[in-house]
Amino acid sequence: MKGTYLGEFQEIVLLTILVLDENAYGITIQDEIAKRTGREVSRGALHTALTRLNEKGFISSEYGGATAERGGRRKRYYQVTNLGKNALQEAKSVRDDLWNSVPKVTLQRS
Amino acid sequence: MNNSSQPPKFWTRLFQWLCNDTFYEELQGDLEERYVMNAQEKGSRKAKCIYKKEVIKMIRPSVLKKTRTRTRLNNIAMFRNYSIVAFRTLLKNKLFSTINIVGLAISMAVALITIAFVTEINNYDTFHEKGDRIYRVNNDRLYDNRDPGHYATSSILAGQRLRDEFPGIEKVVSVYNSLNGDIISDGQTHSVRGYFVSAEFLEVFTFPLLYGNPETALDEPHSIVITETTAMRIFNRKDVVGEILERNHESFQITGVLKDIPNNSHLKFQALGSLATYQTSERGRRSISDWTNMWSSYVYLLLPEGTTSETAQVWLDQLSVDENNKGPRFNIEMKMESLASIFPGDGKYNQINTVMPKENVRSMIILTLIVVFSACFNYANLSMARSLKRAKEVGVRKVVGARKGQIFTQFIAEAILISILSLGIAYLLFRLIRPEFLELNFYISRTVALDLTTNIYLQFFTFAVAIGILSGMVPAFLMTQFKPVSILKGAVNLGGNRKFGIRKILIGIQFTLSMGFAILVTLAYKQYNFALNFDLGYTTENILNVALQDNDPKLMKNALESVPEVLGASLSSMIPSTGSLNSDIASRLNHGDSINTYSIMVDENYLDNMSHKLLAGENFNTDLVNDQMIVNEQFVEKMGYSSNDEVLGERIFYYNDTFRIVGVVKDFHYGTVYNEIEPFSFVQRTNNFNNVNLRVASNDMVATMSKLSEAWERIDTDHEFNATFFSESIERTYNTLSSSMKTYGMLAIVAISISMLGLLGMAAYAAEARTKELTIRKVLGATVYNLLILLSKNFFVIIVIAAGVAIPLSMQLFKTKVVQDVEYGIEVGFWELASGALLVSFIALITIGTQARKAAKANPANSLRND
Repeated sequence: MKGTYLGEFQEIVLLTILVLDENAYGITIQDEIAKRTGREVSRGALHTALTRLNEKGFISSEYGGATAERGGRRKRYYQVTNLGKNALQEAKSVRDDLWNSVPKVTLQRS
Repeated sequence: MNNSSQPPKFWTRLFQWLCNDTFYEELQGDLEERYVMNAQEKGSRKAKCIYKKEVIKMIRPSVLKKTRTRTRLNNIAMFRNYSIVAFRTLLKNKLFSTINIVGLAISMAVALITIAFVTEINNYDTFHEKGDRIYRVNNDRLYDNRDPGHYATSSILAGQRLRDEFPGIEKVVSVYNSLNGDIISDGQTHSVRGYFVSAEFLEVFTFPLLYGNPETALDEPHSIVITETTAMRIFNRKDVVGEILERNHESFQITGVLKDIPNNSHLKFQALGSLATYQTSERGRRSISDWTNMWSSYVYLLLPEGTTSETAQVWLDQLSVDENNKGPRFNIEMKMESLASIFPGDGKYNQINTVMPKENVRSMIILTLIVVFSACFNYANLSMARSLKRAKEVGVRKVVGARKGQIFTQFIAEAILISILSLGIAYLLFRLIRPEFLELNFYISRTVALDLTTNIYLQFFTFAVAIGILSGMVPAFLMTQFKPVSILKGAVNLGGNRKFGIRKILIGIQFTLSMGFAILVTLAYKQYNFALNFDLGYTTENILNVALQDNDPKLMKNALESVPEVLGASLSSMIPSTGSLNSDIASRLNHGDSINTYSIMVDENYLDNMSHKLLAGENFNTDLVNDQMIVNEQFVEKMGYSSNDEVLGERIFYYNDTFRIVGVVKDFHYGTVYNEIEPFSFVQRTNNFNNVNLRVASNDMVATMSKLSEAWERIDTDHEFNATFFSESIERTYNTLSSSMKTYGMLAIVAISISMLGLLGMAAYAAEARTKELTIRKVLGATVYNLLILLSKNFFVIIVIAAGVAIPLSMQLFKTKVVQDVEYGIEVGFWELASGALLVSFIALITIGTQARKAAKANPANSLRND
């Protein structure tokens, strides 16, 4: 089915949201990704990924507290839905499966 | 927070503009938070830089607005709703709708005329394939240290030399405007108008031949090419190549048949003779080898591709200098004029055909714009005044979710609906006025037909839509500015008096225009009457001028004189005081003095017949040879004689001949009100006459005319008897005045009726909006008169200001545009100026008065019961 496929970046975003738990909104997600992967992601690019995830139903969001440095604008906090969690699990199991099938010898660097 | 911690405003604004509203709060919040963080860590400069980059990176489909896909589905339903609402509003306010539609329709009818007219004018000469490379050579005649006379003509010699000596010019076409008159075929006489042209004519201009070879058709002498209509008229068939036509006892062979000449050609002809014909006669050869014989021949050039008109102008200058150095009677400078600028043109003399002056086209466009804007003002004014009533609708729409753009579209659409309804009426009016317009003056009647083509219909429609948008713009903009909250609370005040200010200005402009037109009409009418009744210094009453049409003058004069009602008859070369002039330099024999002197050739009966007053000497003596002239007082004075008696017997060299002055006549107006009286002379001749002047006394003009006509037919059966009263000819002379009078008159009526309609609407609205106030005043004891004053006061001030502006403006316009060349003009006094303004004010006050009276007279109980 189209739409359930999880891209690499999307997977990272999903995982980051899970890591951040209650505090996952634009800025923190960006920072966390930068910290963990060293990738500087623009807010626009992140927005695209979040939109896609939202369309697929992997994340949900709600408005939260406004702060002065945001010009009084509210933050939008993201959470991973059960569907999202399933998708992550599935992706992981596919990968694990693949990992397990790789003969040990081939992995050793020559 | 200080300013440096704010992200760049422009970029924020940009982002807000492009960002989908649903995400804006979140994304802008994040961007700003990031910015503040960066500003603290890396400094505000760096932060701003990052911020800008971030905004640019936001340009991606997931962020951008998706207006198009989202509204496409709704549009049809929305537009249906708009048009339903528009129709309901139309029906609900019948008075206002009628005012709007009628006002717009009247002005649009004028505009439709202009559109059709300008399109047709601009379409002139566009069918020539090589049109962008064709130029005409014009002559500037320099003479007597006066301003040069601009002529559209050039000598045939100039054409010949350009052809022979300047190989840089691809083709030279000479045109001699003299193939007019009778052509005989099988004993039948047909009158034909046309030109003698050089062989290149058919190659340079795109006039395709139906039969015959365009390359050789006009090579041989005595060749003639006629149009298909002419062929049908003479032979009743089209394939007539090889037939023989006779003209002036010479035979011409038909070598080609042309397709009919399109209406939009400045060259109009029925036949073309080969110019080579001219080289076959001695007289012809002489007339085409004279540099100053430039009165009725034209030279057109076809330049090769890549050659500019400036280059060719240099060649023309060389040739002019060369010829002028030979010491001709006057000097000529030749000038290039591109084919496109020949029609409409700028008033050169001796045009090959009637040319619409550019000025006429321009003033027509300007006047139309004025009228159209006036009607748009009305629409804007009334809709703004009514907007209060519709505020609630706008409020509800906004609350339900209409965007500004949608409200704007709605009101624009409404205006377009009205303007398209008006277009329908305007079109009917257009059909109604078209014949009147075509008769307006000879420029129009001779050059345009106002035929309707698909293209013109399309323009009409586009115009209507444009007018809709234009007139709907201001009210639509006003409506979108409403704040839903205050509208629904019922506390809307449309910016109160400020908006009323715009409306007052609009009304003021309309009044100024109406008054201006009214004043112009009064002035033009006065000037026209003045010119018609101008004392010319001789009698034109009961004088009937009969065109001789190449008949023997003496014979015809005698025949016509035999009619008993004719009291006197004389012969003349032309009719004075009707605009035609003829002049040459007259010089005293054995004396240096010479002056430009106007003249007409007359016989010995002329002076008596026209009651000219002889001051000295005597009339022409028929027993003596034809060398006598009678001069006017100006001649005596300017030539430097001390008294009238001194000139008698003087010998004058004039028209390549020597004349003897036998009399002095009192100064009279041989010209029009446009000319001052200058030296003038009557010259005695026995031939060269074109008119018989009959002094007629008759109680039954119809019977007399038929007697004269019979007498005419005894001599000439080929031509129709053609007689015109002198006074009619003079009337025709002032055709431009009368046509500008008609134009201004029509526009005055249009402008006045439009502004009155607008005023009616405004007055009705003012009375309606203040109903409650008026009733309370009435209940408290105000009289009807008090209320009338109260309601009219505002408008009265506007009218006074408008009059103050209109009077000097129209005065100026009249002086600079209508009578700029008039030597004998009217005295412009108080009443000439005030009458137009007063008339408009009077109508306006009546309009306001009726509305105010209606409001004031209403029973207070009715309106107070309303709540």
